[in-house]
Amino acid sequence: MTKKQSDTPSKTGSKISRRGFIGASVVGGATTVLAPTALGNTNEAATNPAKSLPPSEAQMEREVGSSMPPEPIHNVKRAASDLMVQVLRDLEIEYVALNPGSSFEGLQESLVNYGDNPNTMPEVISALHEGSAVDMAHGYGRAEGKPMCALIQGTVGLQNGSMAIYQAFHGNTPLIVLAGNDQHNFLKVHTGEDIAALVRPFTKWDAQPETLEETLVALQEAYRQTITPPCAPVLVVLNSEIQKQEAGDVQLPTYTSPDIQGISQDQADVIAQDLIQAKNPHISVGRLRTPHGIASAVELAESVAASVDTTATQGPMSFPQRHPLVGPGTDKDYDYHLGLERNASQVSITGPSLKSLMKRDVAGVRFGWMQDPSMRRGPTPEVLLNADAEASIQLITDAVRQRLTEEVTRSIGERNQANTKNNQTFKMKSLRQAIEKKRPGWNGTPVSLARMYAELWPLIKDLDWCLASPTHFSGRHHRELWDHDKPYSYLGQFPAAALGYGLGASTGAALAAKDRDRIVINIQADGDFNYMPGSIWSAAHHRLPMLIIMHNNRAWHMELMYLQYMAGVRGRGTDRAHIGTTFRDPYIDFAKIAEGYGMKSEGPISDPEQMVAALKRGVDTVRNGEPYLIDVLTQPR
Amino acid sequence: MIKNLLSSLVVYLVSALSSPVLITAEPITGNAANGKEPYFNHGCYACHGYRGIGKHNIANDVSGIMMNESVFLIFLRARSELNPPLPFQGMPHYPESSLADAEALDIYAYIRTFKDSPPLAESNTTLQAIIRSAQSQHQAQ
Repeated sequence: MTKKQSDTPSKTGSKISRRGFIGASVVGGATTVLAPTALGNTNEAATNPAKSLPPSEAQMEREVGSSMPPEPIHNVKRAASDLMVQVLRDLEIEYVALNPGSSFEGLQESLVNYGDNPNTMPEVISALHEGSAVDMAHGYGRAEGKPMCALIQGTVGLQNGSMAIYQAFHGNTPLIVLAGNDQHNFLKVHTGEDIAALVRPFTKWDAQPETLEETLVALQEAYRQTITPPCAPVLVVLNSEIQKQEAGDVQLPTYTSPDIQGISQDQADVIAQDLIQAKNPHISVGRLRTPHGIASAVELAESVAASVDTTATQGPMSFPQRHPLVGPGTDKDYDYHLGLERNASQVSITGPSLKSLMKRDVAGVRFGWMQDPSMRRGPTPEVLLNADAEASIQLITDAVRQRLTEEVTRSIGERNQANTKNNQTFKMKSLRQAIEKKRPGWNGTPVSLARMYAELWPLIKDLDWCLASPTHFSGRHHRELWDHDKPYSYLGQFPAAALGYGLGASTGAALAAKDRDRIVINIQADGDFNYMPGSIWSAAHHRLPMLIIMHNNRAWHMELMYLQYMAGVRGRGTDRAHIGTTFRDPYIDFAKIAEGYGMKSEGPISDPEQMVAALKRGVDTVRNGEPYLIDVLTQPR
Repeated sequence: MIKNLLSSLVVYLVSALSSPVLITAEPITGNAANGKEPYFNHGCYACHGYRGIGKHNIANDVSGIMMNESVFLIFLRARSELNPPLPFQGMPHYPESSLADAEALDIYAYIRTFKDSPPLAESNTTLQAIIRSAQSQHQAQ
């Protein structure tokens, strides 16, 4: 039998192992081995790889829809792709964002027609670009801590989606890319023998199954891999002919959850003992994997009344910012400092990083992140435990509870009161200082970015909201003014510092919000918007609760400043830095773009009072389940 | 690197020494109306906003580099050796070959027209709402 294997690629990247395994993966101490299948492969295409030839006349006729599909006609009673959808349904994949392609009509037909409740769990989301589809999955994955799928056309679609995959990789985001591939009947330029090689250096795992049974197992393994640290995108290449074949009596494989490695019981006991004995413990919480992990971290902190610092204002899945224990506590001279996916003075528990995947750089790209050691902020820990923090917390909490005596409990209660009081004082002082800094330019025209954030907060503070867009360019004023208390309060920056991400990712976050009585706020940079604006239509079409507020400074503003500086260094033309860096002559009318895509919108607005009224209309509209765009002309920064 | 450090030192000294005690206030000779266009064209707005409030605020400022025209000019011309290895968003160098003295003084005059009078936090409905929200949250805790 033949099998294209996934986790351990060959050196050439084009000739990969053809063993009877889907793959064996060792990740962070957790080993997941898939059982070898004994099924034979009847797919001729798989044993007769495509040659690189120009399309024939007949193929071109098929491509433009002028001829019927080639033999064999798949008139089946139990479609193989129905089983693929059932696997996704059983994994509770909510959405499959797709840009239609000619290599997965079998699967797409099953998605929209299979089952008693077709097009539900997963629901098809129409994306206008493969990059948008992946970005949506990225935003959803960051908000929920679990994957959705992006379904894209092999080779051409995968290349379109590759930048978004790269971004999600650096975002440590769980998502599953499904790429259709037809090596037999269709355009050869749309095929490849090992199309996963296109993105292998920045995916965690891939598979190219060649039977239905292997496909079903691969889909389950993809899910396991992407939610196992280091979380990252995975790819399954789906043979188009397998999708369309008769499933016969093939049964669904049994799914088993991944074994994610935490610390040992002995290690948990030591940490618990130190926490109990400490007079002034402190816990630094970074990005955990799921909301469950956050709840566990809260329980641990409360069990010992440790003061806490959080990354909730920097990205998703961290400790609630306004929890009474968050803050410096009574004294910053901590006698025990524990880090959960963060560095700390005494013990730091951190899961495997993307560097564990360096072996997948078979093409020898040698991205910069591979060459430089990862730098983690904070103190150098006395003890660094390479284990997943989220999988470790409950062990520590249980060990703490076993050690609680009446005296210790009383002491912890007193510490809880003292820390809470001091943290409240600290927070109010910080808030008042921040507000003083937000006042300048309050009534200015165009609109002050600080005021934009300030005016928005009273309108949403009592709602369930998610700030999905990167906010670096618009000043990050939410960090000081808003409360980031949910796992998805803020989804963080561009993980690979590459534009084109914000709109798609926010749309994906809005997918996560749609049936959860949540709204999404997208402070949308104008430069970022223009890469893939089609997500506007997707949001309108699927009635997603997303409020888009344009940070319209009519420029790629950072690059404008770079160029301006360079001209100054060379002593010439500092008045010409706008060339190639700004959107002038003509200005872009984002409200009209949104209107054209079918989204309610207004603007451009440069008067702050008008903006306030527009924000109220926008929030009301989004609360009623429709997206809304407000084009706000802002101060540059 | 040494040149960069020396240049930074010049800038620092200009700022530090331009106090009311050491430098007498000078009249504004530039034309504020003429300064609006070069303020925009030479990208001052990029960091300082359209009316002096932005990443680095200069509205209402009559100290430091905004003390008078002479200091302002020295500051603009003093950064020629600042050539960082990375893309940089700091204050650019403005040599006379790129920005003539007359234009620079017009820009200075234009900046001096910037007056920002934001509301006090105590009298602003929005800012008060933010403070009250935090207070009520703490009371609930």
